[in-house]
Amino acid sequence: MLQTYFADLEAGLRKKLDERVTARRKFIYEIARIGGRMFDPEWGSAWTTVFVPFEILNAMHISGNFIEFVGAMLAGAGLSRRYFERAEAAGYSMDGCSYHRTIMGAVMEGLLPEPDVLIGASCPCNGGLKALTRVGEYYHKPAFIINVPYENTPKSVDYLVKQYENLVAFITAQTGRELDEDRLRASIQLNNESRDYIIEALDLCKNVPSPASSNDWKNFIISALLAGTQEGIEVAKVYRDEFQYKVDHGIPGIPNEKHRLLWIQNRIQFKTDLIELVEKNFGANVVIDELNHIWWDPMDDKDPLRSLAIRQITHPLVGPVKRRLDILAQLAREFKVDGAINPAHTGCRQSSGARAMFKETMQAVGVPLIHLDVDCVDERNYSEGQVLGRLEAFMEML
Amino acid sequence: MNRVYLLLPIVLMVNDESLSQKIGYFCSYTPLEILHAAGLTPVRIIGHSNPIQEGDNYMHPNLCQYVRSCIDAAVLGQYEDLEGLVFVNSCDAMRRLADVWNQYVPVNFSTMLDLPMGEANIDVEYYREELAKLKQSLEQHFVVTITDQMLQQAGEMYNAARDLYHQVNALRRETPPRIRGQEMMQLANRFFTQRPEDWIEETKTLLQEKDTTDGVPEESQISETRPRILLAGSPIHDPEIVGFIEECGFAVVGEELCSGERFFDLNVPIEPDMLATLSKTYLTKPPCARMMNIEKRVERIVHQAQDLNAAGIIHHTLKFCDTYAYDLPVLQDLLADADLKILSIEGDCTLGSMSQLRTRLEAFREVLESS
Repeated sequence: MLQTYFADLEAGLRKKLDERVTARRKFIYEIARIGGRMFDPEWGSAWTTVFVPFEILNAMHISGNFIEFVGAMLAGAGLSRRYFERAEAAGYSMDGCSYHRTIMGAVMEGLLPEPDVLIGASCPCNGGLKALTRVGEYYHKPAFIINVPYENTPKSVDYLVKQYENLVAFITAQTGRELDEDRLRASIQLNNESRDYIIEALDLCKNVPSPASSNDWKNFIISALLAGTQEGIEVAKVYRDEFQYKVDHGIPGIPNEKHRLLWIQNRIQFKTDLIELVEKNFGANVVIDELNHIWWDPMDDKDPLRSLAIRQITHPLVGPVKRRLDILAQLAREFKVDGAINPAHTGCRQSSGARAMFKETMQAVGVPLIHLDVDCVDERNYSEGQVLGRLEAFMEML
Repeated sequence: MNRVYLLLPIVLMVNDESLSQKIGYFCSYTPLEILHAAGLTPVRIIGHSNPIQEGDNYMHPNLCQYVRSCIDAAVLGQYEDLEGLVFVNSCDAMRRLADVWNQYVPVNFSTMLDLPMGEANIDVEYYREELAKLKQSLEQHFVVTITDQMLQQAGEMYNAARDLYHQVNALRRETPPRIRGQEMMQLANRFFTQRPEDWIEETKTLLQEKDTTDGVPEESQISETRPRILLAGSPIHDPEIVGFIEECGFAVVGEELCSGERFFDLNVPIEPDMLATLSKTYLTKPPCARMMNIEKRVERIVHQAQDLNAAGIIHHTLKFCDTYAYDLPVLQDLLADADLKILSIEGDCTLGSMSQLRTRLEAFREVLESS
């Protein structure tokens, strides 16, 4: 079923791209191709948690998929319920993250092909690492665990580099695929190039009005799967070009942009008109998603593993929450936002634990914040009317 | 009123003026030897098992009772006499607890130990570096020098304390047990809050008293017929909860809890490079669920249950504790494969939530009694 889904999605988008190229179409098209590679024997496949160095995988001709991506995709397709209920029936608590229950249920139901290798990182959360390990146990395969150090020091970077070296050896042992050093260096160069385009594209969205709509950047974090690939550059360049064109020609992302919003963490994944209604009724536009922020400096292709390690250690979700709060404040200022929305995904401890500090941080930069308390994948307890009512009240306050 | 009454024991112990400078810690992977060598008395922050008063203003209710009660007690001023805090990067909720505590509760000294998951040489070396950073920051803040000799002495003392705990614990392994699980948890809680030197002296006295007691104390109400239970899972800090389980007709003869027996399951070799030794010893001790080593954890539980001649296992999952909750289905299967009977209970570690489980506990007891 999934193979067909990705194949149909890819074919449909190819047709649309032939008619007209848009950034969003190009992005989803490439992601559909990545999804399809799960079934391509030419590629090795890896299941991972969300923040792992995909450049290493791409340089080893292994197609990585992070487990939250699957949860999001199935929710977006209206298919997740069967799978998280399967996981619940197997004893996994409804208090946990529904992204993770979805992937575990999908594995139990045989929806997903067996991965060649499993790789998890300790950041952003315990739940992701646990879910990945459970998936590995299902296939009788070990998961490689990357301990992402809490602080950025030369010694902690050394530690992470050693772990990456062990990771490469682990992947080789599991898949028989060797790391091509030249290809890794090329992957770093490609990442630097796409990074520049994304920064340009995001900078263009600092314009008032923004050339992007709320939907244009939705789930762009999944582009991490394209890290260090030519496709990654192409996607980033299309985004830059499209927004440059719109800015040059005075074309706004949405008509009558009145309010500019910062979206904290992940979007709501199941089908809902919430954002469209807010755009239409209030002229409110999500101009920046926290998770789309480029936090790392250009990487050194002469020392790829160290560069990747520094990037991972300096991720805003690693270490004390202040690092993340500073980024949120920076984004709020740079993108001139009027309000911030935190869906406060149920089951996400690492995020909900600091909600009081989110609010204070936003208040300090004069930006009101609303916590929606929504499960972004499991819509069983979702009440659109209730959430919309709260958002409407929030918008009126703005 | 009930709330205040239940908080008092913790507060009184922490405010004991006879203690030297006190430093708070949370996680069983905190090497107490280093804190003691710095001239400090480690005091474990155990929160409370009562309804949250203020903590929910700071941390979301979808975090576990443990971290919420810790911040609750902290913002109410119940830990204000601590000279500092040592957090461990043990889970998402603990990381956020550190952030929130450091933001909203005045604290003179606060540090985070980054605990890796793994026992490989690079993990041991990394944790050694973390311990070296801890040592250095303690030396700077408290203006002390910590030598290897001091660490060795602290290691010997804590080894003696842990050995003493196990001597007392051996009494509840007997058939019938000569000490209740509730008493053992009280003993552990005293260890968490007293100067270790004082705890050792008191515990020696307790052991002598028990040794001179012939047979089973009548007041303990323990009989040979009660099913012997190993209590496993998320931390339980309130002895009354163990007492409640015993009231339901079990003899809690062992724990796989970081708040109980597992805390004491390590022996630190006395070697020249004590930081390296401490790193290796702590990283390789019987793991909790967070350490991502379910095989080792299950192996330990199975071995312990067999060693205790336990009739079954009660596994407690603290509500919203992902590390234990995500392990549970697999753990249950693995324990069933080892022919162990398990009752899984979930709660927020309050007596109120536990009392709702009475029927299930009693049904499990009947199953064990009839098998």
